[in-house]
Formats: sequence, C-alpha cells, structure tokens
Amino acid sequence: MKSEVIITIENLTKRFPEGDSEFTALSKINLEFSRGEFAGVVGPSGSGKTTLLNIIGSLDKPTEGRVSVLSNDISKLSHKESAMLRNMHIGFIFQVYNLLPVYTVFENVEFALMLQKKSKSERTKSVMEALEWVGLQDIPNKKVTKLSGGEGQRVAIARAMVKKPELVIADEPTANLDAVNAHSILETMKNLNKEFNTTFLFSTHDEKVMSYLDRIIHLRDGKLESDEIIHHKITAK
Amino acid sequence: MIQFLLKGILRDKSRSILPIIIVSAGVFLTVLLSGYMKGVFGDVIDQSARFDTGHVKVMSRAYAENIDQLPNDLALLGVTEIVGSLKNQYPEMDWVKRIKFGGLIDVIDKEGNSKGQGPVAGLSFELFSGTGKEIKRMNIEKSIVIGRVPLKPNEALISNEFAQKLNLSIGDEVTYIGSTMNGSMAFSVFKICGTITFGVAQMDRGSIIIDVSDAQKILDMEDGAGEILGFQRNDIYQVEEAELISDKFNASYASDPDEFAPMMVSLQKQNDLEFMINYSNSISAILIGFFIFAMSLVLWNTGLLSGLRRYKEFGIRLALGEAKGQIYRTFTYEAIIVGIIGSVIGTVLGVSAVYYLQVVGIDISGMLDQLSSSMMMPSVLRGKITPNLFYIGFVPGLLAMVLGNMLSGLGIYKRQTATLMKELEV
Repeated sequence: MKSEVIITIENLTKRFPEGDSEFTALSKINLEFSRGEFAGVVGPSGSGKTTLLNIIGSLDKPTEGRVSVLSNDISKLSHKESAMLRNMHIGFIFQVYNLLPVYTVFENVEFALMLQKKSKSERTKSVMEALEWVGLQDIPNKKVTKLSGGEGQRVAIARAMVKKPELVIADEPTANLDAVNAHSILETMKNLNKEFNTTFLFSTHDEKVMSYLDRIIHLRDGKLESDEIIHHKITAK
Repeated sequence: MIQFLLKGILRDKSRSILPIIIVSAGVFLTVLLSGYMKGVFGDVIDQSARFDTGHVKVMSRAYAENIDQLPNDLALLGVTEIVGSLKNQYPEMDWVKRIKFGGLIDVIDKEGNSKGQGPVAGLSFELFSGTGKEIKRMNIEKSIVIGRVPLKPNEALISNEFAQKLNLSIGDEVTYIGSTMNGSMAFSVFKICGTITFGVAQMDRGSIIIDVSDAQKILDMEDGAGEILGFQRNDIYQVEEAELISDKFNASYASDPDEFAPMMVSLQKQNDLEFMINYSNSISAILIGFFIFAMSLVLWNTGLLSGLRRYKEFGIRLALGEAKGQIYRTFTYEAIIVGIIGSVIGTVLGVSAVYYLQVVGIDISGMLDQLSSSMMMPSVLRGKITPNLFYIGFVPGLLAMVLGNMLSGLGIYKRQTATLMKELEV
C-alpha cells in the first residue's frame, strides 16, 4: 500500500539578500515525504538543512517553487495561518531544549495544548500521557531548570508530541547530549514514530541520529546531493 | 491562560518585581498626594466656611465692597426680619448672624489701672443666645483650653496665646475698647470664662469671642449684624446649590438701588476660594495625568528590557505556533495583572499614609505666623481619606503599565520567524 504524501516540495529555491547581491541557500529542490517517515536532512554547515526545515515548518517561505505541507501551500499562508499550522500539526524539537524556564515539566508540556485551547481535564490527561511516553511521569512538578540535559530534551519531545502532530521537526536534537542519552532519546522518538505514525524530520550531522533514520537526504551547497532509503540502519545500532 | 501568566509573573521575579515597584510607587504617590491635597483644601474650605464665609454670606452691598475693613457702620439692620425671611425661603439651610469687629483689649489690675494692652480681632456668634448649633459648628467645646463656653452676657473667650501674652487667668476682667457702629467710642468690660485654640493661625493670634447679642449691645448695632451666614445641610458645601441660592436671592434685589440692600455671596466667590475649589477638583486629574506620563516612560523602558530578556521565550512561543498578536495580547494581559498587583499595593500604602496624615498631620503654624492672607489656613495640614482614594490610583497604575508594555511589546511584530531556528540554537 502506498503511504500518504504529506509534504511535497517542487523546484524549491530560497535566496537571501547578501549585501547588493543574493545568496542562494536552496536551489531547485524536489522532494516528497510520506506520513510516518523517520527521515533526516544531512549536510555540512551552510548546506541549507535548516532553511529547508524552516520552510517545511512554515517558519519561512520559498523564493521560488512550491512547498505543500499537509495540503497547505506554504508560500500562500499568512502569518496567522502559518502559526495555526504549527500550532495544530507540527511539533518542534530544538538542539537546546528551549523550555520555558519559570514553568514546571508539566506546565511546559501543557503550554502546547493551551495554545490549542484544550480544556483543563483534556490537558491534564494528555500531558500525563505524554510524560509517560518519555518516562518523566514521576516528575511532572519538577522545575525544568533542575533537569539534566537528557530529561530536558525528553520534556521537549513530550511538548512536541503531546498534541499528537502529524509532523515533528527536530533540529540537531542530540547535539548537546552524551551518547547514552542520545540513544535513549532517539529510541523514544523512534517508538513514538511507530506508535503514532508521526513523520519525523531531522536536521543533523550526528552519526548516532543517522543510524536511526529510515531515509537520509544529503544536501550540499543548497542542492540535493542524494536521497537514500536505508532500512538496515535501524538494526545497526 | 491567565492563571498560566500569573504563575510566570509570580515565579519570574525579574519580570514582576521592578514593574510592581514602579507601579506601586506611582500609585502610592498619586493616592498620597491626592488624599493630602483633598484634606488640605477641604480643611481650608471647611474652616473658611465655619469661621468666615459660611456656604453663603448675606451682607449689605456697601459692607461687601469694604469687607476687608470690617465696616460695621455699613452693616445690615433689621436682621431678625431678614433671617426670618431667609429661613422661610430656604428652610433646609441654617441662617446665623455674625459680627466681626476690631479693637483693643485693656487688662486692668485690682486697683483699676491698666497692666497690659493688645489689639484684638473680635468674633461674635450665637453662644448662649442661639440653639447651640454654632457652638458645635465652631467646635468651641473641643477648642477650649481652659474654662468654659460663655453662658451669660459679658462673658468672653479669649485666644489662649493672647491670654498667655497678657498673663490673663479665668475670671479676670478685660476692657474692650473700640468703636460703635455709629463711630463713637465703645467700652465694655468682659469676664474671661475660658481660653481657646482653634488651630487656625488667624484666630489664634489674638481674638476675643463673645455672644452676638453682646456684640450688638457694645457696638450699638440693635437688630444689626455685619453678616448673615447660611450653612447647607450637614454643613457640607454644595457648590451648585449655593450658586443657585445666591443667584436667586440677588435677583430678587436686582432692581433695588439702595447700597444697603442685602446681597448674597457664595463661598467660592470669597477669599479666592473659587481658585482653590477648582484647583482641588482638578488636582487629582493633574496628578493622574502626570504619573501616567512619567510611569509610562519608565515602564516602556522596563518593558523593552523585559522584551529583550524574554526574546528567546517569545521565539519558542512563535515556533510552537502562537501568533504574534496572541503573544502581544498575553504581554498586555501580563501588564494588566502586574498593574493590578502594583495598584493594590500602592493603594494600600497610599491610603495608610493618608490615614497617618489624617490623624497626625503636618504642623505649619510656624510658617503661618509670617503669612498674611485672607484665607483661613489650618495650622495643621491633614490628609483626608475619601472613597475615591481606593480606586484613583488604579487609573495611572493600570494605564501606565499597559501603555508602557504595549509600546515595548510592538517589537514582537518585528520578529522574523525565518531566523527562529538559528536564534533558538543558542
């Protein structure tokens, strides 16, 4: 059975002004991502990884070409519609966990649902469920400033996953973690990917992350260098 | 969401403490100054009314023209009839006769020789000849230092300071020397039955207080009085009502060309009190306006600093899918919460300070000794707690906080979501 395509990228070009001229960050990219993929965009610094994820995450718009995410044409979305798309359908996981420091573990995860205007009871149920997915169900009231790096990233995963998004964009999620924590986090994400059929898109150059990916897209100087499906990598860890 | 914001405000001290301190300080000053000014102006107006102007004053036109000279030769005659008519026309008001006079007090020894003299300002009103309302109005019983209220003719109260200067005791006799209504010499002996301190510098310097019937007798003012004062219900001055009454009264004498015809003047038309009443009414608005402006500037800067410090937080929220407008609104809600907290604290502190000033006051009697003004100034300036003090501070507190934050929060709209990933990497 053919999986449903949720992201379509056609002839995507992104240019940024640089002094009097322009810098081309992405050039004529064509890609498709299906529901439930666990894919990564790999490449050296300046290759266009983050720009690509920015556009897919509706944080930026293409200069040329068309990007459709969950049937939304990114270039045609207003700021409010882009925010709504992120709010309802896309989860973000950052390199540094970017939690709200004055709030507890529970409240940080709950915030994503508050933006969706879910009721208190719904929020409580969903947050506790999400914390259980990442193994933090015992410390919901802990201040996030007291968490270890691994725990912090787990909260970030719970925050991204609590709203059960169709797409999670993870920008170098293991960059600040030791090997043990990195594997544990990746294992958690992989399990969530399988359980909820959520599409995960990584930006990375970490070998550990790559070993978990089902698909690796190589970018170089803003151009698509390769796009490989690597089933065997899952068992190689 | 409000609960979520409140938690953030309470936990993040740097987000709340400085703005709350600024708002509290501004609200405190607004409430304190407003209460203090109201108290002082209220006291000045109240004392002027009680001692000098009444809420309305009836006198002859000629007397009114020369009022600074206390021209009893131009006083109203036939006041019993005038007062009767006023009582009929305006029964809700209390109408009383007053005679003010000047002269000399001569203190005589046992042999009848003069042992001291001093100029004196005389005030006469209904002490034993009236209903007792004037005694209450003038707060005579509480103002008496030693002795008692005059109970019969030829008894007098004398200001305590003056009594000490002349070395007078209760029971001593003094001779009043002055001039009658007709310009002849007036001599009369009074027995001191008490000394008094009103807390009003003008009255406490050197004054003698006698019953109005005694004044009529010694000044040859049979059925006459320099002034007839009218006091409104519960002795509370109602500006519009006083104006209406005086306009109506004066209109009834408009066609009378007699310079001795009575005329009525409202409190605010006397002794520059109109300026004071208008100033008193506008002072709160001036203070509020000033503090809104000053605090908005400070809070704008505080908001900018807060915005810089929370730059990352806003970035995270944008990435998570919160719209810029929504972040701006929550930033404003936070300002409202902080504004309310600061306003409550400032109001509590301000009202407490006004209460302290109401009870203790600031003694300015030393300054008043050098002041020559027709205005009745209390020698202790006191604040006054009025109902509006409990909400007046919320206007600058909330407005300044919200305005300051709204200005500084505009930066949220300039944020580029395209750079969020990069910004949130660090």
